[in-house]
Amino acid sequence: MAPSVLYHCPCLSTSDIPPPPHLPSSSHSFHPLNTLFFCEECDAVRCNRCVSVEVSSYYCPNCLFEVPSASVRAEKNRCARNCFMCPNCRNTLAAVPADPESGDGRIPAGVAEGPYIMYCNYCRWDSAEIGITFEKPTGLAAQLQKYEDSAPDSLEFDRLKEHFDAFLRTSALAASTSGTHHHSTHHSHSLHTNSITAAASAALARDIPGVGKYNPLARSTTGRGYGKDRSVNKDEMTEYRSRSEIAQTAGAGGGEPDVELMNSLEEVGEVASLEQRWENSWVTPLQTKQLKPIRIPLHSKRSKRCPACTHILIKPEQKSQSVRYKIKLMAANYLPGIVIVLPHMRQLRDELSKRNLGKSVAAQVDEPPPGMVAGNTYEFQLNLTNPLYDPIEVRLSVQRVHVSTAPGGTAEKARRPPFAISLPTAKFPISPFAEAWEYEDDEDMFGVEDDELGIGMGSSLSASVRGGREKDGRARPKTVGVLERKANKTVVGGEVVIGKEAQGNVKFNMLVSYTYRSDDAEGGDLGVHPSKPEIRRFEFYTVVDLGPIISREEARMDL
Amino acid sequence: MSGSALSTEPPILYSKAEFIETDTGNKVSRRATIAGPQNIILGGKTIISSGSIIRGDLRRTGPGHAVVISLGRYCLVGEGCILRPPYKTYRGNFNYYPMKIGDHVHIGANTVVEAANIGNHVEIGKNCVIGKFTFIKDCVKIADNTVIPPNTVIPALSYYAGSPGAFVEDLPESTQENVEAYTKGYYARFQPA
Repeated sequence: MAPSVLYHCPCLSTSDIPPPPHLPSSSHSFHPLNTLFFCEECDAVRCNRCVSVEVSSYYCPNCLFEVPSASVRAEKNRCARNCFMCPNCRNTLAAVPADPESGDGRIPAGVAEGPYIMYCNYCRWDSAEIGITFEKPTGLAAQLQKYEDSAPDSLEFDRLKEHFDAFLRTSALAASTSGTHHHSTHHSHSLHTNSITAAASAALARDIPGVGKYNPLARSTTGRGYGKDRSVNKDEMTEYRSRSEIAQTAGAGGGEPDVELMNSLEEVGEVASLEQRWENSWVTPLQTKQLKPIRIPLHSKRSKRCPACTHILIKPEQKSQSVRYKIKLMAANYLPGIVIVLPHMRQLRDELSKRNLGKSVAAQVDEPPPGMVAGNTYEFQLNLTNPLYDPIEVRLSVQRVHVSTAPGGTAEKARRPPFAISLPTAKFPISPFAEAWEYEDDEDMFGVEDDELGIGMGSSLSASVRGGREKDGRARPKTVGVLERKANKTVVGGEVVIGKEAQGNVKFNMLVSYTYRSDDAEGGDLGVHPSKPEIRRFEFYTVVDLGPIISREEARMDL
Repeated sequence: MSGSALSTEPPILYSKAEFIETDTGNKVSRRATIAGPQNIILGGKTIISSGSIIRGDLRRTGPGHAVVISLGRYCLVGEGCILRPPYKTYRGNFNYYPMKIGDHVHIGANTVVEAANIGNHVEIGKNCVIGKFTFIKDCVKIADNTVIPPNTVIPALSYYAGSPGAFVEDLPESTQENVEAYTKGYYARFQPA
């Protein structure tokens, strides 16, 4: 695994100290920076798991038609136009004219009439196999409507609905006639309401004794108690006969027709796979040749809100295929980005790229497997990028891993690879983000040219850092500390010493805290002068993964 | 010499003799087969790698100047790629249709692309097959070894994989900036040896 830095999102938990990285469960709370959001009101990081999501618009992924939210429910979240999925391979179907039956090979110019069929250009399935043809290539959904209406599941559902509807009406009528007169206006209203809500409220009244008092449907029966209600339901419910015998239908679970089917099977491909079958909730077709084309389900564009303050974090544009956003609060615009570079890997890769020069991609030698040999000391570099328009001062600190004294303590300790990290502990500044033309030409500093540093940076430079760099810059190449600064990036070096018997990955939690001076009116609402700049700080945890450790035996075997 | 520590990715080296650099910054390999170059438009800073075949000669019948293939800025056509405009027989007439590719599009090695329209910030993997008359919208990522059947429409911000290519997941909202930074960084690192 390439070295990576993942950011911690506390996800509204009370403690924002992340779990130690050697625990397998810790991986769920760390995310790459480009998937995180930042709420300005709460001043907190939000991830995809803790935001509250709501749908902004719906569109069909095939015709890209934006479906208004009102008709989404009517169309059962599917595209109502000509978009269908092949039941075999889930590819989109195209409406093509069926081949003419005549032996005449030539296609007459300008004529493409004739019955149309749906055809999949990946697996060559076509709707003629199940006998569905169309007269014209548009409005396929309407033409298929009559097939769908006569399907056994929708007929069954309609009959069920009629049955319960009739029963609900009679029970409501019974309740109202036994009640007082002045409730009749209420009941005429409730009769006009949705029969589904009436059924739901009756069911609720039955199950929870207290609710019936507030239910206008049951209000009239308070005098009689709830026993009458229950007995009314039990007595008057007529028995429902289903339209077709379930056991006799093929595919509905082990009945006679299924057994006959299995007996006469010739190859496994005749039976539909589970993925192909569960689109249909009623009777799943068992044979592949019975599978019908499926309407394409709609996709949605979502807007996301902070769970704590309901501030909008992401608000997409109305147009279905536009990738711009009206509001986009990404964490990458607020938190410094961190990239890890391992110099020893880079040297290996540089040699490789020289060897690969001129070779085609297929013939190139692959990258060497990443890893660090146990018992050695390696240096790594953290490349931090400042996205803000103000300079920031960053301080890094490695989180101490608490050794647990629980009964499973020894096992935990063995799993935790022993290594020591040394990072610069002093604060170091990073310049603000600005357009490329604003930077001076030769800002490539190696820590020695402090004069140019003093010009460009302003007052955020701390004297200790400058002094430290002057001391070490010329003596020997530094590995720990600020290595380089350019534009709005700073490279900081660190070292890791790996123990001799270490195993696993080198992973450690790192706390990054930075302070910045904000001059804008945000400081004004504290009651201070709006123009007074105040120092604000923010901190977040990250997990740094430097890669696996190659044990010394393996390294010796490779050599 | 290990280079500046600030560049986190290694430079991608090429031999200077192999690539022709135009004044708009396009780098075209001499070993790429470009047919009909007068019908091909390259936006600036596009890299066409060796072994790729771009058929600008398959133009639709008709008078005048026709643009057959147009590529945007900061594009990368990988090695061994084939870019061929799609064709259709409609009412007895056979015709080629122009292929339009947006900015910041990276096409992996050995991919066959016959799509009609590719949007901006699209990343296509290696060994893919993009069928005829495919419409790929913006900020799409297509995994390696995907086969996209003809006439597919790929909506924006999706990740497609498999064969036939199917929708896997939505990409994060910051995809546009990430892909833009990646393609610009790639061009900056693409240096003569």
